[in-house]
Amino acid sequence: MGSARSDGAGTDAGGKAEADADASMLAAHKILIAGGFGAGKTTLVSAISEVRPLLTEERLSSAGAGLDNLRGVGGKTTTTVAMDFGRITISERLVLYLFGVPGQERFWFMWDELAYGALGAVVLADVRRLRDCFPSVNYFETRSLPFVVAINCFDDAPKYDAEEVRIALDLDPAVPALLCDARQLSSVKNVLTTLVESISAGTQAERRMVSALPPM
Amino acid sequence: MPAGDGRDGKDRTDGKWVRRDSGPVVRPYAVTGGRTEPADGEVLDLIAVVVAVGLAGGATDDPIRLTPEHRKILRLCERPMTVADIASDTAVRVVRNRPAVQLPGNDVLKEILNGLRAL
Repeated sequence: MGSARSDGAGTDAGGKAEADADASMLAAHKILIAGGFGAGKTTLVSAISEVRPLLTEERLSSAGAGLDNLRGVGGKTTTTVAMDFGRITISERLVLYLFGVPGQERFWFMWDELAYGALGAVVLADVRRLRDCFPSVNYFETRSLPFVVAINCFDDAPKYDAEEVRIALDLDPAVPALLCDARQLSSVKNVLTTLVESISAGTQAERRMVSALPPM
Repeated sequence: MPAGDGRDGKDRTDGKWVRRDSGPVVRPYAVTGGRTEPADGEVLDLIAVVVAVGLAGGATDDPIRLTPEHRKILRLCERPMTVADIASDTAVRVVRNRPAVQLPGNDVLKEILNGLRAL
């Protein structure tokens, strides 16, 4: 991942070899931050990195039909979506990107491409609107992308422990669920390290392979 | 850079090419003089790493031939840079592509883990 190259203005043989060497000095990986509207995605990203805006041009699909008003713009096949991303420099040659995935249903058409090649995902949950995160959980479960559920503890929200939320969401035992405060660096670090540890352990992938076997 | 956190619904561009009420007034790649595609068939996605290697046909940093955006992008790419960073720095919209999947090994995951813990 992250080794595609372009000189943007033409290629010559010598330059290409040089570009190969230079580009291989930097590896970029991404983690998706998903969850319902207002669950704290931007807050989480800004707690651990500088948040920067990004405009993407998305191809319109049937997912936006009836939601994006296309009257009078019949030829319009793309739309601009603004999203946030954060950049965490791990080392001179290793960078981690956090992409806040637009939570509203009408942005689902973006998810496949964003999820492709991602290390994993964080699903931010708000216990007052727990069902807002169901689509994200379903999505990552069916796509076999490792994820953690982070319950963002809003000050005015009722307190539940992670186990209660795990039961409510019917999470696979291999999927970590933990409480967090998306405003706190230490808490966000804990969420991300839990995710990377889970990816590293490979338990989510293994469990899915077992559960994918046909019943006896 | 454009400001705003997206929660207040304000337009997050500097308003030069995109207006909230009118929508985009030019296609995004008009700014850079056309869509860019990898010359060697590789796929560029948001976290693809690109680096400038000089200009085609012996062109120099000629303001007549290069737009300010071109020069800014080339300047950004003097060091390896991801597409997402370039797009954010120039406020040029990007069309995402599907990258080749190559998940990192455990040594890289461990490095990421250690890096996160050290933050």
